[in-house]
Amino acid sequence: MESRLPMDTVVDYSSVISSDLDLKIDYPVRFFFQLDPLVGISSLLSGHKLIKGFMWAAGLLFLTLFLGRIFCGFICPLGTIHHVISWFRPSLKGERMVKANQKTPSQRIKYFLLITIIVGALVGLNLSGLMDPISLLFRSLALTVFPGLGVGINGIFDWMAASDVKILNLMSYSGEILAAPLFGYGYKSYQTAWFIGLLFLLILFLNRIRPRFWCRVLCPLGALLGLFSRFSILRLEKYQDKCTNCKVCTRVCQGAASPEPGSQWENSECLMCFNCFDSCPESALSFKFKWSSPVLNKKPDMSRRAVLAGLLAGVSIPLLGRLDGRVYKVSDPRLIRPPGSLPEKGFLNLCQRCGLCMKVCPTNVINPTISEAGMAGFWTPHLVMIQGYCEYTCTLCGNVCPTGAIEEFSVKDKIERPIRIGSAYVDRGRCLPWSGNGPCIVCEEHCPTSPKAIYFRKEPVKGPEGQVTEVQLPYVDLKKCLGCGICEYKCPVKGRPAIRVISAGESRSLENQILL
Amino acid sequence: MKITHPITRRAAIKSLLKISGSLALSSISGLHFKAPGPAWAETVKEGFIIEGLGQKEGYSVKELTREVFKAAGGMAGFVSKGDVVAIKPNLSWARRPDLAATTNPEVMEALIELCYEAGAKKVRIVDNTIHDAGRCFAVTGAGSVAKKTGADLVYPRASLMKKMKIHGHRLDVWDVFVPLVEADKLINLPIAKDHGLSILTLGIKNWMGGVSGRRYALHQDIHQSIVDLAQFFKPTITLIDAINIITKNGPSGGSPSDVAIKNTLILSNDQVAADAAAARLFGYGPEELGFILLGSKWGLGTSDMEKLSRKQVIL
Repeated sequence: MESRLPMDTVVDYSSVISSDLDLKIDYPVRFFFQLDPLVGISSLLSGHKLIKGFMWAAGLLFLTLFLGRIFCGFICPLGTIHHVISWFRPSLKGERMVKANQKTPSQRIKYFLLITIIVGALVGLNLSGLMDPISLLFRSLALTVFPGLGVGINGIFDWMAASDVKILNLMSYSGEILAAPLFGYGYKSYQTAWFIGLLFLLILFLNRIRPRFWCRVLCPLGALLGLFSRFSILRLEKYQDKCTNCKVCTRVCQGAASPEPGSQWENSECLMCFNCFDSCPESALSFKFKWSSPVLNKKPDMSRRAVLAGLLAGVSIPLLGRLDGRVYKVSDPRLIRPPGSLPEKGFLNLCQRCGLCMKVCPTNVINPTISEAGMAGFWTPHLVMIQGYCEYTCTLCGNVCPTGAIEEFSVKDKIERPIRIGSAYVDRGRCLPWSGNGPCIVCEEHCPTSPKAIYFRKEPVKGPEGQVTEVQLPYVDLKKCLGCGICEYKCPVKGRPAIRVISAGESRSLENQILL
Repeated sequence: MKITHPITRRAAIKSLLKISGSLALSSISGLHFKAPGPAWAETVKEGFIIEGLGQKEGYSVKELTREVFKAAGGMAGFVSKGDVVAIKPNLSWARRPDLAATTNPEVMEALIELCYEAGAKKVRIVDNTIHDAGRCFAVTGAGSVAKKTGADLVYPRASLMKKMKIHGHRLDVWDVFVPLVEADKLINLPIAKDHGLSILTLGIKNWMGGVSGRRYALHQDIHQSIVDLAQFFKPTITLIDAINIITKNGPSGGSPSDVAIKNTLILSNDQVAADAAAARLFGYGPEELGFILLGSKWGLGTSDMEKLSRKQVIL
């Protein structure tokens, strides 16, 4: 209890006071997305936009041309997790592992997924976020792993704080301060988080069936880098004469890339983990730089079937995705996008569904969609106002978005332009003063605009016993309302509040408007 | 509890259960309520009210704060050596200090320094904010004040909210922000602002930030609710920050045009008197504000300035 100054606000307090500086996240949270060529290329093809920091991805592709899939073996954070899990007490032993590490046709699935994503992006829907390893990892960590641990840890602290043993109280207070920077105070929640978490666990579990199953079979980024490693000059040299055919190299090969002498090395499958070369007892393998070789590396095995299926899926998914009318007809009233979001079509062309905006949101209002944005927009961000609200002077979601689906904006833009995300309306049947159930001004009190978008008229209202009292009845001035949703969030009518926000009036859309 | 009607057996059992329940709760949370006798005796003692005005161009707000306390006989009269002091500012909104939606950081800084100079062991800044607390602390300047002075900034987290017996006329049991009641001395440090329902938000209304739970339901009987809270918290002193006040579009303001410059501080040991004096700055008499009327009625304090020793400090 001695010190309760929380260290969780990630800002230097002294820089903020008496200046107009926006609070920003200074950590390079977008770096892995900038390094990820699949994010860069799909954004370029669908959104016709070079994302900020694309040069990193271009550099990585250039490097891959010479060195192969070193990203998979040395940089990819999801690959690292898979590698560790596959290496730690492997489930298969000896001969069974050798068998599991033979190349199989299922490894073509990743090329199918890659082609689907690339063609889909050309047709106009960015699907890469669903399967891209960086997006998948960030989404899983931000929306399930950390909040899940947070729920557990804060639950223990709350239990300790409620106990009547004083020492437990004190321990919980100091424990909370230590845990808060990582897990925050209180309990976070995200729609469909259980599903995201379950998928993540499943993907991790697949390593028990085949080492790095995800990287071998499913990862579209791996497929892209595999294509680029066609001309790699860092090559696996095999010395047939030294080989005793012990198969140790195949047993430790995590990419199923046929390292053993006597077979042709699958260059595009190789994750550049160097396990084979490291474990060969006879030094029959080595990685060498070779400039001009009469034999090129082996062609990536993607099969005509995978290409055709990819083409078909890539064309049809974006078209099918528009059939639910969310883009052309009318948007779901509950589809309230974060401030600074692009118009819906442009948004779907860039959003990676990575969950960064949801993680950074201080009020936990941004959630993955289920059906609000249609099939095409599954897991894209939207605001659920009964869970939080958009804070008037907060700009963090635009600050962290890696592709610019949410454009970077300043507090000044947000207030003065202004950026509207929707508009509020009063449900008079539920509202306390309107229904004669008593005075209440909570929505007006919290309305952050100046002058306030919620105003009163004093009028007599008949109560339940017929008594007439003069109360202040709330009205919404649509010209001033920004749709921030703090009225809905703070409304004392719980469950379904008496004032609610719909997306109509959002400034990103020309059609979805109410006023002239 | 005031009993105005014959009590039924059922009601008697109910209230007995409630009282025993709250006693059990109070022992769980390790809190010791003051016996009602001496607490009432304190308010009978003669109160004071001191008004500080900064009239000179470029006067120091911190200096004015110090002068006001000097006129009250020094901080040592309120804070003893080794005390844990809780300060309850109004940090509700993530707004810049110049928009006057939150307590002036310079006043808060001077106040904390004075507490430490008087020998306080620990000073805590305690407020259950409306906007996200982390952002409020950063934007309002409370964070940098805490850093500079070494005071604790208590994050309003769920584990620090405990159900307590309010003993009010309207409120029975409510979630209370624990550090406020655990402190040896409590200083109310509100900012004076316009408000849509209670007309003004001054010292008494500031206690809304000392509770949690379904506090937005309190607006259905705002005047009695906040007077109940003020009677529960019983601060040692109230210092109303009226350096800049919000005269319209309150309580959140948001535009410099909502702010009026008053360069005033009001210090009192009488919660009602402090509010009545601050209300004058907005042009309201004490009889126009429900919480002042109720506060006088229930013996929380007086709005009759003649009953207090009054002083004015001008810088």
